[in-house]
Amino acid sequence: MYFPALLSLCILSMLGMVHSIPIHQDNLKNFKLQAETIILRIKDHSKELKLYPNISIGDPDLYPEIPADKPIQGLGSIVDALTTFQKVLQRLPKGKLSQIRIDLSTLLGSLKERMTSMRCTAKEPTNGRSLDILLQNNATHHITFGYFVLDRLKQFTQKMIGNLDQLKSC
Amino acid sequence: MMSLFIMLVLLVNFITISRGLAALSSSDGRGGVYEDLKWKALLCCELPFAQTLDGGLSEHPPVGQCLLLNATKPARNCLDILCWLEGERTNLICNAKSHRAAAAASLLTVRPQLVVQMNVLSEEANHAARCAGEDIAMCSISLHGNDATVSLNISVSLNETTALSPKMQVSTHHLRTPDPPVNLHYNVTTEGEVIFRWSDRQPDIDEINYEIRYSPISLLQQWEVVKIKGRSWVHLNELRPRITYTVQVRCQSHFSYWSEWSQRLDFMLDVSYIPAEVFTTPGSEVTFYSVFHNRSWNASNAMWMLNAQVKIPESQYRVINEHVSAVTVTVDEPGFDYLMCCDGLNCGIAYAKIYTEGMFNADITCQSKNSVVDSMSCKWNKSTWTQVRLLYRQYISCENITEMEGSEEAEENMSSVNECPSGAGDDKECTLKILSMFSCYKIWLEVEGGHGKVRSFPVYVTPIDCVKPSPPSDLIATTLPNKTLSVSWKRPSLPVYKLQYELRFVALRGMANAQWKVIGPLLETQAEIELEEACVQFKVEVRCKRLNGKGYSSDWSTSYTSVVYNRKAPETGPDFWRIIQEDVARSVTNVTLIFKQPVLAGDPHSCVEGLVIEHQASGKAVWSNKTSLVQFHSFQWRKEAHTVTVMSRNALGISTQNRNMTLLHQPKRHCVRSFSAVANASCVHLSWSLLSDHPVPQSFVIEWLDLNKNPEQDVSLTERLQWVRVQPALRDLSLCRRFYGSEEFTLYPVFVDGEGEPVRYTATRGDPAAYILLLIIAFLSVVLFVTLLMSQNQMKKLMWKDVPNPNNCSWAKGMDFRQIDTMERLFPHSEGLTACPLLLVSESICEVEIIEKPHPVTLEHEKGKEVLMCNSGDKTTTDSALLADSSEPLSLEASAAATPETSGQSSVTYSTVLLSDQPSLLRKQQESLSSSSDEGNFSANNSDISGSFPGGLWDMENHVCSDSANPRHSSSYNSVEEFSETSDQDYEASESTGVVKDLYYLEVNEKQEEEDEEEIEEAQGEQGKNEMVMRVDARPLLEGKNSTTVNSSHVSHSIPLYLPQFRTESINPP
Repeated sequence: MYFPALLSLCILSMLGMVHSIPIHQDNLKNFKLQAETIILRIKDHSKELKLYPNISIGDPDLYPEIPADKPIQGLGSIVDALTTFQKVLQRLPKGKLSQIRIDLSTLLGSLKERMTSMRCTAKEPTNGRSLDILLQNNATHHITFGYFVLDRLKQFTQKMIGNLDQLKSC
Repeated sequence: MMSLFIMLVLLVNFITISRGLAALSSSDGRGGVYEDLKWKALLCCELPFAQTLDGGLSEHPPVGQCLLLNATKPARNCLDILCWLEGERTNLICNAKSHRAAAAASLLTVRPQLVVQMNVLSEEANHAARCAGEDIAMCSISLHGNDATVSLNISVSLNETTALSPKMQVSTHHLRTPDPPVNLHYNVTTEGEVIFRWSDRQPDIDEINYEIRYSPISLLQQWEVVKIKGRSWVHLNELRPRITYTVQVRCQSHFSYWSEWSQRLDFMLDVSYIPAEVFTTPGSEVTFYSVFHNRSWNASNAMWMLNAQVKIPESQYRVINEHVSAVTVTVDEPGFDYLMCCDGLNCGIAYAKIYTEGMFNADITCQSKNSVVDSMSCKWNKSTWTQVRLLYRQYISCENITEMEGSEEAEENMSSVNECPSGAGDDKECTLKILSMFSCYKIWLEVEGGHGKVRSFPVYVTPIDCVKPSPPSDLIATTLPNKTLSVSWKRPSLPVYKLQYELRFVALRGMANAQWKVIGPLLETQAEIELEEACVQFKVEVRCKRLNGKGYSSDWSTSYTSVVYNRKAPETGPDFWRIIQEDVARSVTNVTLIFKQPVLAGDPHSCVEGLVIEHQASGKAVWSNKTSLVQFHSFQWRKEAHTVTVMSRNALGISTQNRNMTLLHQPKRHCVRSFSAVANASCVHLSWSLLSDHPVPQSFVIEWLDLNKNPEQDVSLTERLQWVRVQPALRDLSLCRRFYGSEEFTLYPVFVDGEGEPVRYTATRGDPAAYILLLIIAFLSVVLFVTLLMSQNQMKKLMWKDVPNPNNCSWAKGMDFRQIDTMERLFPHSEGLTACPLLLVSESICEVEIIEKPHPVTLEHEKGKEVLMCNSGDKTTTDSALLADSSEPLSLEASAAATPETSGQSSVTYSTVLLSDQPSLLRKQQESLSSSSDEGNFSANNSDISGSFPGGLWDMENHVCSDSANPRHSSSYNSVEEFSETSDQDYEASESTGVVKDLYYLEVNEKQEEEDEEEIEEAQGEQGKNEMVMRVDARPLLEGKNSTTVNSSHVSHSIPLYLPQFRTESINPP
């Protein structure tokens, strides 16, 4: 009589364990390495522009669609933000950004795979329309816009490195 | 009768429709009207034969006539014709329907068929359609989405009688709503106004009314609508900056149909440039305006930047208004540049572009690769601030390129121009693949913008001339016994021209400081290099380059480590020693074997390539480790009997004569009787002897730590430890190298079955130079001492000249000084002297000259009122005055000597208090003096005091050491001598000689004055008011309390150094 109840309890416990299995440290290191690589490439790219010292391009308040200040709340929010960055980078001209685009795509793919393995629900991007508008309006200023976006991506990636524990939860 | 009825019906319809059409009167389609996006017409035909058939009255031939609704003669057979567009203007459908059809349905009579045949023709679409039917015909013609004018012909047949309609025309343009305007955009004026403009899709459009609507994108349902009449632009001044808006426009057609809303224009006003881009010529002036829509930005704070890198001088700026700034620039060089206008260092995303006509220098360089797939990688050096296209064109040869260029320009044939496969981008590199290595390629950059193109100077490249070949392969290197390094390799198959080679090699031993040696150019694919020594492995690399002609050097090949050629296995294993380190935390013992270097020495035919370390623990467990030629090898030892054997190895085998070491945890045998070491600057001489009743060890090992290597610089113990093995017959050893002289040497007797008890000895340096230096110092010290002694005696002689005959002193009268050898005999009183404190001071404090003027009356009067003056300078002065008043014979003058100028000098104040009626006090005070003035100088000075100031009253300046209420009179003599720096020197000398003599001074604190007085009172009470008791603090001499505080005004707080105090009763002159 108690057997089905015990069995159910066991199954539920196992499911709970599966859900809370921590990400292996090597994976976290891998994510960190990928993120650091992206940061390094962005720095190199920015250096190459040889901008005037202390110059600031783009007001982040004007472009809330480019997420850098959003709080990181689990894997889903990271994937959401990186997806936005990927969309933007895909619309920028080919060239120097190609490598960063590929690196970001790889990182995003790994994170999405992690989401799948953790059975996380993917979020629908919320800023699709406004993002399109942003891209359209800045299509003719791709250099500065690219610089601005990459700077935001760098900030977000740095924040992600500081919050790698967030990768353990959806 | 029935036919007549039908005819009447048709006639009625005709009239009705006629009136309706007349009212519309907007027809431009021939014979029809446009209504509700349809074309309508009424066609009535007269068919004589049909009438005959129907009515039996007709006598006309069987040819009829059709008229449109405005026919003067009514027709009996009428058709309703209707045309409309279907779908997205893809098809025009026309329908002709006889009135008879409707009538037939109602009358249900059998009548002859009315055949309708319709021909539709679109000249624009070049398409025709034909359709037929009984009473009804429907045709569809494809228009492919375009507007067209369609011709329509209808023939009506009835009983072999046919009637033709006139030609009708339908314009499909009127059958639809107008297209929405296109190209909606906005411009910003130099005054900062925003103007929206658009275009109609068809130039000859007759729409004249527009509506524009806009809304913030976040509030899309709240549209603001503006109506515009007769123009295709509008001013919108209500837009707020830094908000994303959506704008749409629509138009109204002649028939009052509104078009759909145009495509959305989404925008945000932040910074606008006028013009946004310009194409100019070198040297021309160009003026750009920047409009700050952000109202918090001000044009007066504008900073224009060239390519966001260089600030344009402010002299080129102009402030148009509060939010519009202008700059005028002149670009001299062809190319492309960008301008940004920022508010200080805050810049927007937008920038203006300048394209300058002409050819710019891009420094294009190419490097090709001739391999399976030939490719060429070209790089250029130009700003990444644009999208650059790399274009190239292939020629057969670069020889006659000029002529071909002319023809090319004439032809303007760009069909043979190719673009970099990766397309335009902001990259600075492009790789072209599958090239012809022997063709000539013209390569240039191109940038489009500002309604023009800017090109770079082209470069002409023949890929075969800029090949970077693949590095040589299959490298083999052998170190031969004859001190030769033999190297061979394979050249790359492509390119096929002759190659030259460079070879570099480095010895593997001592890789840290190894430097490559380069040999070349070599023309063959092999080389033999003479070496300084055999048995050395080398890392070898080779690269190649075109022998004659242009080209690049290849990369260095993959490194290859040379193989040492041997004819036999090594014979002996290396000598080694060990370091045993206890790891307390892990409870393990680590043993590090140190191998004696070099292990390679020996027969070049049996070079050592590595080591084999064989372990044998108790229980006969044997295992071995194979290593390369390392200097150290570590393992964990479990404190059990453990034998280690180290063998040399090469490809042919391992050594047979090997040394082993047995590690034992058991107590070691003691066999060394003595062990000593003497070191000098360069050598250490070690000697030892053995106990006679012990077996002779197999060898000795002497180890020490190299003090040259600093352990704080992460030099491990294994690197610091030095050792040497000594033959068992030897009993001494000289080690010559750099020693510090403080090394600790340890002698290990090594037996076959383990080590004996080690003996340690710390070397002492026997440096002759040091000895000589020591002797010189000793000699100088003796000379100095003798000199001082002599000078002191001389001083005594000089000083004592002024000393009066002691026999003249009243207290000394009658005394035989020859017989007095002790102070006790001189002052044979049992009472002790009350001593003023022996005070030390590092500064000269007071000089007091005391002139005694014997005044027996006063002294007699004051007799019994003793006042010991130990107060501050001021007080001393006051007290002196008092003394002067109270004791007439004494004149006391106190002067502060501790001025800043003299503060560096020390002085000693001597004070003597002489009480004539209490000789016992004097005696005790002198006892105190003699006990405290243990320095020779002071003893001498003591002697001098009485001579220098005969009959003087020594007063202690700073402290009152007695109760003023004491009725006894106090006479005080002070003497001050400059305490020369020798006192300091003496002190230092005393320290340097290691003889510690704490110097103390005696202090009376003013703060404790009252307490002291109370104590003194108590003491006086105890001692019967005849003794003076002083509070004395003892502190080290150099405590430095006073040195910083002494000045002329505070001299009273200073404490005199070594104040031998004399106290005696004043002596009344006889």
